[in-house]
Amino acid sequence: MVANSLLKVSGLRASAEDKEILRGVDLEIGEGETHVLMGPNGAGKSTLAGSLMGDPRYTILDGTAEFRGENLLEKSVSERAGAGLFLSFQNPVEVPGISLENFIRTALEQGKGEKVRPWVFHREVKDTLATLGLDETYGERDLNVGFSGGEKKKAEILQMLLLKPSLAILDETDSGLDVDAVRTVSRGVEEFRKNEKASLLIITHNAAILSALKVDRVHVLVGGRIVKEGGPELIEEIGRNGFSRFEENEG
Amino acid sequence: MAKVNVPIAKTFGWLGANGTEAAVPGDRRTEKVRLQAGETRTVVLETGKESWDWEAVLEEGALLRLIQLTGDGGENVNTVRVTCGEQARFEWYRVILGGGPVYDQCTAELAGDGSSFTAEIGYRLSGENLLDMNVEAIHLGRRTKSAISASGVMSGESRKILRGTIDLRKGCKGSEGNEMEEVLLLDPRVRNRSVPVILCAEEDVVGNHGASIGRLDEGISYYLQTRGMTPEEVERMMARARLEAVIRKIPEEAVRNRLLETEEKDA
Amino acid sequence: MTDEKTQVQDVDRAFYDFRDEERDSCRIDGLTGEIVEQISGEKGDPDWMREFRLKCLEIFNRTEMPDWGPSIEGLDMDHIATYVRPSAQRMNTRWEDVPEDIRNTFDRLGIPKAERASLAGVGAQYDSELVYHNIREDVARTGVVYTDLESALHGEYGEMIRTHFMKLVPPTDHKFAALHGAVWSGGSFVYVPAGVKVEIPLQSYFRLNAAGAGQFEHTLIIVEEGASLHFIEGCSAPKYNVANLHAGCVELYVGRNATLRYSTIENWSRNMYNLNTKRALVEEGGKVEWISGSFGSHVSYLYPMSILNGRGARSEFTGVTFAGKGQNLDTGCKVVHSAPETSSYVNTRSISKDGGVSTFRSAVVVNPKAENSKSAVSCQSLMVDDISRSDTIPAMDVQTSRADIGHEARIGRISDEAVFYLMSRGVSEEEARALIVSGFAENVSKELPLEYAVEMNNLIRIEMKGAIG
Repeated sequence: MVANSLLKVSGLRASAEDKEILRGVDLEIGEGETHVLMGPNGAGKSTLAGSLMGDPRYTILDGTAEFRGENLLEKSVSERAGAGLFLSFQNPVEVPGISLENFIRTALEQGKGEKVRPWVFHREVKDTLATLGLDETYGERDLNVGFSGGEKKKAEILQMLLLKPSLAILDETDSGLDVDAVRTVSRGVEEFRKNEKASLLIITHNAAILSALKVDRVHVLVGGRIVKEGGPELIEEIGRNGFSRFEENEG
Repeated sequence: MAKVNVPIAKTFGWLGANGTEAAVPGDRRTEKVRLQAGETRTVVLETGKESWDWEAVLEEGALLRLIQLTGDGGENVNTVRVTCGEQARFEWYRVILGGGPVYDQCTAELAGDGSSFTAEIGYRLSGENLLDMNVEAIHLGRRTKSAISASGVMSGESRKILRGTIDLRKGCKGSEGNEMEEVLLLDPRVRNRSVPVILCAEEDVVGNHGASIGRLDEGISYYLQTRGMTPEEVERMMARARLEAVIRKIPEEAVRNRLLETEEKDA
Repeated sequence: MTDEKTQVQDVDRAFYDFRDEERDSCRIDGLTGEIVEQISGEKGDPDWMREFRLKCLEIFNRTEMPDWGPSIEGLDMDHIATYVRPSAQRMNTRWEDVPEDIRNTFDRLGIPKAERASLAGVGAQYDSELVYHNIREDVARTGVVYTDLESALHGEYGEMIRTHFMKLVPPTDHKFAALHGAVWSGGSFVYVPAGVKVEIPLQSYFRLNAAGAGQFEHTLIIVEEGASLHFIEGCSAPKYNVANLHAGCVELYVGRNATLRYSTIENWSRNMYNLNTKRALVEEGGKVEWISGSFGSHVSYLYPMSILNGRGARSEFTGVTFAGKGQNLDTGCKVVHSAPETSSYVNTRSISKDGGVSTFRSAVVVNPKAENSKSAVSCQSLMVDDISRSDTIPAMDVQTSRADIGHEARIGRISDEAVFYLMSRGVSEEEARALIVSGFAENVSKELPLEYAVEMNNLIRIEMKGAIG
């Protein structure tokens, strides 16, 4: 169905703390596409994102996930990142002692297996910060340490732009942000989309972040299953009616 | 042989942490300095195989920055004792890169009102390194402050004992002592002993201690891996970061840069 | 206000300080081989126990006094009656059969009133001997044994006792463990068969009445696989001019997936040297919970220890220590992680007042075998005035990298703001401070059965009242 399949998830079941959360998820994302994953609280959206990335808190019970035709689930977390998968965290951890810029540079070097020249990279960081409308000193600060909620989300977007993944999963990156921060995130997403081959899976409650984007497909996750798929018109419908229609079906 | 690093208060005998029998070299270097009122002085003590008995008296408002370094393969039995007058300040920066063995005693006597002591300790131990420390902040004056902070990384079969004592003596009203220790353990064969003590004989004071000992936090490790680092690389980077965080605080630029460069090379 | 006052008077310290006329049938001072033989003979020990006592005496004589804790110089071993046997000759299971004077004592202390308040069983020890023991029939029917250790030694559980007695706390552990081994007397034996869950607590009560006496009761509890038990221990003694010594020993064996909660509210008189040793061995998936309130004694050395011996074994320690005038209470706990995935959690509060000294002392040891283990220790101390002392001496010995060990300690005073806030709502300053201290000790009181929680809070109030003016 999808022309250049990038991610193909089939029958994925996963649990957290011995409780089954994903109960058979099917999802396919092609190269250069923007997908949206919506669903009520507790539907399993973050579990899906975490399971794809290899979060140790989740246990895969069954199903497959292929990334560029390779088995994603047997890769280590860093191998998944190296293969081009990126997850922006809802609540990124604070890592004292490591500056944001040094960290991304180290990550890039390890991903590519070659040295990144510090000052060339510094330039790129500076440009990207400017694109996002962020202060220059951002890169020198310790990774997420003392960042506000909004700053943390912006730092995640910065990392996404610099690491240049082929599929970025944004897990509620827009939630709990003020207007200014939402604008920064949107700008980052637009910038990311300039690469025609880059794909996005946006997990959100909020239609605002999506308004400027061309969305290819919308998936609705309820009770650990995809209960509905469709075009961008679904976003508007959910904005109007919420998820009750799908939840009733599920029940 | 002599018993070194005997703490003010003892813990259970069987832990073997109430002082250590060590071969103390007879030809220790000694120095006694006195800082005049208002004087600021930075002293760098670099030790390879030689040991120090170092003493200072700080008069009113004086500031002493003692930077004490032990490089790879260093062997010392050191004692440092600093007495602070009113509003005097003693900053101790202690970096140990390897050590075979290093015995370190540092006592800050906060005698004058408003005097303060900060200890920034950073260490990296590997192989069969042994680090044995006893750090004491004795609060005598009113409104005195101490902050002992130690951060280290242990691998191989290295061993370490850190005794840190905040002693809030009678009369030190309004004083505050803080101690924080973080130890990153990278090899199942290491042995880390920590005895963080708070002694308190005064009402209007605050004493805090926190310690975190063990492997790298799982959440941090996972987060960094999602950006493409292997667990080993994450470990190496975090280990370096721990030590660099201490080095960056060293107020002497030349020393700071040299240590950072050494770190860069080693990493 | 009147109601509250009556309640306080009810548990006034003087309440514990009455004493009965000594009517000992046999009294032995000092400690020699002959005396130990004599005790052994009096008690009709089996041979192995007599030999064990003599071996312990030998260890006692060659073991040094501990050199790290509070001073015990006031304790003169030569003048302590190591064995005092009250006139009650036999253990009684009917309350009416207990001699009247002893019965009156326990009545005043609320036993067996406590039994009536729905306990599964009650044991009461008076000086060196257990004088009363009873267990509810329905509990006994499930196979639970609760009896005095001496009779158990001669009965069908004799062999079980032989294989467990002082195996957890060997006489070589320290001088007073050796002393205990040589002269132990009285105490309880509890056996909970596999899978039996005892829903209501068992209780024992110790009381030392004779002047200059020693109490050396031994508590041995075996909770088999999948079983559970809550055991409550209470202690008290009247005040004498001569020092008393309590060197008891508690050994707890917690089987696979078993749970044992051991609660103690200790209110020994202020001339007591309380050198007690408590230890639990916890097997795979098992859990021991220590709830410990230390209020009495002149000097205490008390560090219940948990040895986490099987995968996933757990230990929780919740303690409060209140050191008032003339008291030096050195309390805390020890945990040894000896198996993978074990966890320990320690939460203590200490309060010092009127020149009292409280010391929190702990040790968390993580052995090389204990990978993926976790430990969290939190201790808080409250300084109520500027003539008291509060020390915190924790230690950690971590011998594997695969562990997460956390520790936090805090010493501070009662916040003026909190006092002001409460006073602004109409309570007196004295009352406000008492309330704050009670709240501070809530970690323990909320874990206790109601009547004990009430007693504990009353003890705190008694201590706090008169703190001002």
